Amino acid sequence: MRSSTMSRHRPSRRTVLRIGGALAGAAAGGAVLSGYVSSAEGRTRVRFLQNKPEAVPYFRRLVDRFNAAQSEFFVVHDSTPAPLVPQFVRGTPPDLGCYNYNLETSNFLARGALSDLGKLPEASRIDDRIQDLVGQYARYGSETSVLPYSATAAGVIYNKALFEQADVAVPTTWSELLRACRTFRARGIVPIVQTYKDTWTISQGLFDYVTGSALDVTGFFARLKEQGADAGPGAEVSFGAEFRDAAEKMVALGKYTNRDAASRSYYDGNVAFARGQAAMYLQGPWALGEVEKINPELRLGTFAMPATEDPKDVKVRVNLDLALWVPDASRQPEGARAFLRHLMRQHVMDAYNAEFVGWSTTKNAPPVADERVEGLQPYLDSGRFFQGAGTYLPGAIPHDNYLQKLVTGGSAEAFLNRLDEDWARYAQRNL
Amino acid sequence: MTITDRRAREEDRPASRLRTGLLAVGTLAVLVPLVFAVLMALKTDRQAASGSGFDLPSPLELGNFRTAWELTDFPRAFAVSLLISVVAVAGQLIVSSLAAYAIARNWDRRLFRWSYFYLLAAMFIPFPVVALPQVKLTSMVGLDNPLGVAVLHILFGISFNILLYTAFLRSIPYELEESARIDGCSTWQTFWKLIFPLLAPMNATVGIFAFLMSWNDFMMPSMIIGDPSMQTIPVVQKIFQLKFSSNYNVAFASYLMAMAPTLLAYLFAQRWVMSGVTRGAIK
Repeated sequence: MRSSTMSRHRPSRRTVLRIGGALAGAAAGGAVLSGYVSSAEGRTRVRFLQNKPEAVPYFRRLVDRFNAAQSEFFVVHDSTPAPLVPQFVRGTPPDLGCYNYNLETSNFLARGALSDLGKLPEASRIDDRIQDLVGQYARYGSETSVLPYSATAAGVIYNKALFEQADVAVPTTWSELLRACRTFRARGIVPIVQTYKDTWTISQGLFDYVTGSALDVTGFFARLKEQGADAGPGAEVSFGAEFRDAAEKMVALGKYTNRDAASRSYYDGNVAFARGQAAMYLQGPWALGEVEKINPELRLGTFAMPATEDPKDVKVRVNLDLALWVPDASRQPEGARAFLRHLMRQHVMDAYNAEFVGWSTTKNAPPVADERVEGLQPYLDSGRFFQGAGTYLPGAIPHDNYLQKLVTGGSAEAFLNRLDEDWARYAQRNL
Repeated sequence: MTITDRRAREEDRPASRLRTGLLAVGTLAVLVPLVFAVLMALKTDRQAASGSGFDLPSPLELGNFRTAWELTDFPRAFAVSLLISVVAVAGQLIVSSLAAYAIARNWDRRLFRWSYFYLLAAMFIPFPVVALPQVKLTSMVGLDNPLGVAVLHILFGISFNILLYTAFLRSIPYELEESARIDGCSTWQTFWKLIFPLLAPMNATVGIFAFLMSWNDFMMPSMIIGDPSMQTIPVVQKIFQLKFSSNYNVAFASYLMAMAPTLLAYLFAQRWVMSGVTRGAIK
């Protein structure tokens, strides 16, 4: 390829030599540089990918401690926010990934690009109900190739002072929730602050919470995928058939919100809630730190959103904030596993989760000590949790835009129809 | 001052006021975001998260620059970005002008004419379409590093640059070259001693475009560069774009640092930049 382009321009032999020399020099320079890094202290170099920004300093300390504690491996902490796919395509994925586990990451698992960690003793320590979350997105044979490290549970954050002022108890049924909203409204307090400008907040909050408690989301998507390419608006398993009640409830709840919701972003929501302008906020624990940054005095709690008249139906939205995996193409699987086992020691996991308001994924994990989220603990203990309906939908279905349309005056019927049509298109190509 | 002078000035006044007004609005359009960035970069976490962007920072927080410096490993990322930009600019200038010269002066031959259209056709292929094959290819030939990114910038720039250069070359009279030949210049010498200097305005245009593209590019380095310690500024700065939490203050401190060299370069090279841009616009 290169020689044919060259011959078109007919450079002199000397020029060719010069260009070749320059290229070789550059390549050698690169090799020397990378060689210098890999031979750091004469140990095997293990690349550890972890780029959740808040946790970077935390994991950097762990890496340093591990490097000091043994002399066989040298772990290099890679916190660059570079995309994963090119690294796999290039054949140089990280040796150990500590990454948010979602539908996108599950693609690597589904295609068998990750190695089986099921034989490690650490794998058997993980709570089966949490390990199941991995398989809900994708499976590869009977392999256990992703080990959950930290789970985040999200519910309705509420302002305790406002609840006490209005004499409202934490609602456990749908009608109690609506009654609470009406009470707040009557007292001139915004019941729920919403931020429709950032579409992900509608999907994460309103959509996931209401659907999660109103129906069996996990089971629905399992059946939907099983149904395969026969999907569509009239199919046996369809959004139109099973999400109608939830969609109508979302619209109903949308009435009890701030008037400027359509133009507010997530950050505006944090500010409004921190200033005590609303009683409830449909966000996960990640928003707690932001709210606290603005108003450290606020007393906060979290409850799981009810969506039926039976308190037993209430469930909590969870996601695997961090999960560990070792790619098949890793050049240092031994080192990767050694560091994985170091990270998976119980006290290391518990310390991480205590600091970042997460739940340990192991059996008999200690309950969270943070009073702002302890309202969710009973649900975690009894296994009443689900991964949000929005997280099952691939990027090819822009459901959060459809949601935005729904909450700003669309009809539930049209919304569900659209989801079914899009899912059918997706299923015909992929399932 | 004579009476006629004064009268002429008075007559001009409304028009010149309008012009000044327009210019002032234009200046504001540039200055307001800059002021915003500076104010934001000097705020504490709490003020950045709650207040409006234009509040004056109090207390003044200079530590943001240090945090940003450490989080992004600024000097290293800066050096890599600079390396890519320098190689990309020099490469695009040389490769594209040489190719355009060959094409423009051999227009009567079919091979050259077709190669012109062939190269132009590449304008219709954006990088994202061929991203993954490029990732594979560059890693196979050992170019999954900043040099590879620079090489790709040179290649992806060829089509547009050749369009600019050939159009400009057609306006340079062939007689000039004939006179150089009569004085005994080889083709190579004619190009370097005569044509390349004459291309100066177009070189400025191409150089500016090449610099902006390669300095600001995010996607190509993030996908092509395999070694995380060799990433460029835009890629390492993505660490500030969080979904769940805001640290605008540190982010803006970092953006200011990344902007500084471009601003400085622009202040010093303003004259050439302006002339280069307007020439490019006419062609």
